[in-house]
Amino acid sequence: MKPKNNLSNLLFTSFANFKRNKIRTLLTSLGIMIGVMSVVLLIALGLGLKNYLKQQFENLGSNLVMISPGNMFSDEGGAANFGAGMFGGIEFDEKDFKNLQKITEANYIVPLFFKSLTLKSDLEEISGYVEGVNEDFFPLMNFEFLAGKTFTKSDIQRKRKIAVLGFTVTEKLFQSPEKAIGKTIKISNQRFKVIGVIEKRGDNEQDNSAIVPYKSTFGNLNPDKTFFSIYLGVNSDENVLLVKEKAEKILLKRYEEDEFSVIEQTEMLSTVNQIFGIVNAILVAIGSISLIVGGIGIMNIMYATVTERTKEVGIRRAIGATEKDILNQFLSESVILSVFGGLMGLLLSALIVLIIRQFFPAAINLLSVAIAFGVSSFIGIFFGVFPARRAAKLPPIEAIRYE
Amino acid sequence: MTKNPPIIKLDNASKTYFLGEEEVKAVVNVSLQIHKKEYISILGSSGSGKSTLMYLIGLLETPTSGKIYLNNKDISKMPDQELSKLRNEYVGFVFQSFNLINKFTILENVLLPTKYSKEKLNFSPQKKAKDLLKKFGIYDRKDFFPNKISGGQQQRTAIARALIMNPKIVLADEPTGNLDSKTGPEILKLIENLHKEFDTTIIMVTHEKNIADRAKKKIYIKDGQIADKYL
Repeated sequence: MKPKNNLSNLLFTSFANFKRNKIRTLLTSLGIMIGVMSVVLLIALGLGLKNYLKQQFENLGSNLVMISPGNMFSDEGGAANFGAGMFGGIEFDEKDFKNLQKITEANYIVPLFFKSLTLKSDLEEISGYVEGVNEDFFPLMNFEFLAGKTFTKSDIQRKRKIAVLGFTVTEKLFQSPEKAIGKTIKISNQRFKVIGVIEKRGDNEQDNSAIVPYKSTFGNLNPDKTFFSIYLGVNSDENVLLVKEKAEKILLKRYEEDEFSVIEQTEMLSTVNQIFGIVNAILVAIGSISLIVGGIGIMNIMYATVTERTKEVGIRRAIGATEKDILNQFLSESVILSVFGGLMGLLLSALIVLIIRQFFPAAINLLSVAIAFGVSSFIGIFFGVFPARRAAKLPPIEAIRYE
Repeated sequence: MTKNPPIIKLDNASKTYFLGEEEVKAVVNVSLQIHKKEYISILGSSGSGKSTLMYLIGLLETPTSGKIYLNNKDISKMPDQELSKLRNEYVGFVFQSFNLINKFTILENVLLPTKYSKEKLNFSPQKKAKDLLKKFGIYDRKDFFPNKISGGQQQRTAIARALIMNPKIVLADEPTGNLDSKTGPEILKLIENLHKEFDTTIIMVTHEKNIADRAKKKIYIKDGQIADKYL
């Protein structure tokens, strides 16, 4: 056997065929190109979203324990009730906040009221959020102040109408942090005096928020005096699980086990990973449909090619080509077509991802590259093998007489 | 009768096809021997089974029944891999419609059989191909594609392709059928010269008696059977 000669012969013939049918070759590869591109791009976007969320959680710090309504980690496999936890079920109140203060290992305890609404200055208005919190919120989140200062415990007790603004709110309503200090911002028709501006966090919600003393929201903004969530800052890494257990014990006195979740960062990250595992699988499945369609396109063209080249197969058989030689010839053509499409798809999606990255942390990972190569060669083989077998099994005499 | 042992021997060989439901007996119980250096013509009308007989002799088909021997070795049930190897080494085909591959140049067409050789070649394919093209007066056409040269030149290319592997047997199926009255005899002469010059066994399949008459031995085929060995 002379494998080198065989390979060069296969490539030579394949490219001679592609050269003769340039448009057909391009169009056939186009199907795989679009398929690979959609899968790679969908993975890139999924990955970007995951990175984005992961970053947001990491910003919160590893010593954070978060208490939310609803059961985020149900028995049915993790994230099933995540949505329910976010948008329904029980709401916490001041009693819970007070009870949780008994946990000595928690050095910060923050009740969090959260609402989406319109924020107005005298001249401008934007849609943003109001966060009702206590003074612990600022050290817990490690906020840096660009101007002004935080509010104090006594500000909260006195229900003062004061606010610390996120970066984007400040920019849009007052142009700069310095100009914002001392000005008034209207939140749901109540006037709050701006006393501080925090740094840009890269988090849409935080940057678009007005942070106010939680007691100041009681009334118009928060008539039920409830909280969306309670954050606990733990004094050291080792105590995170202990604080989690203590918090659960306290809450179980008032609520059922499945009415609330106490989660810490590792859990949150694993939830995010779980969710994106599923999201990615769905995205890949959707993208794969176009890959299959591309594969069928290749199969279709290869069948047409076999019929078109029946006589050529006969001639080759007459001069000594084996069935295997013919099979390899057609198979290599479909694999080259498919891999070429795959590479073009990968290249194009890399370009698109480069552009998207300016707005969003989309990424191409090794899996995407493996898919581009692996799946496209698999498709070339899978959809090419049937036409190639037909060519190989053509009776030589009939093939050579074919007109 | 020639003294040397036969290269090819057919022993009661038959070939049956199915055209849909209909059974076609293309070759029926043919026994014959072909020796080294022979020049034989197979004469028969259209549909007589002469081409099928040629393909059996040319190892492109195996018989439905009976046996075919190449150098005393039974090849009737040989697997495709081995049969193709023998075909590549022993047989050269020349067809009525030339059967060149249009996407390859003249030189590439001539080289094609060497690409399917399963053994290391003891000659340089490029040099051999060019020598053959020179010999047949079409070297200046080596980079042309087949549809850009004349019928006679295409048939010369096909003969060069048939010879590149130094075959023992050249099978020519109506080689002048698509050529005009001037080129036809030229090609016949060229084939006959091969016989003299290279001691190649020539088997000429034709329906024209005057062409068959040029061979030393004639086999007349009718309804798939040998009608009269010496017509």
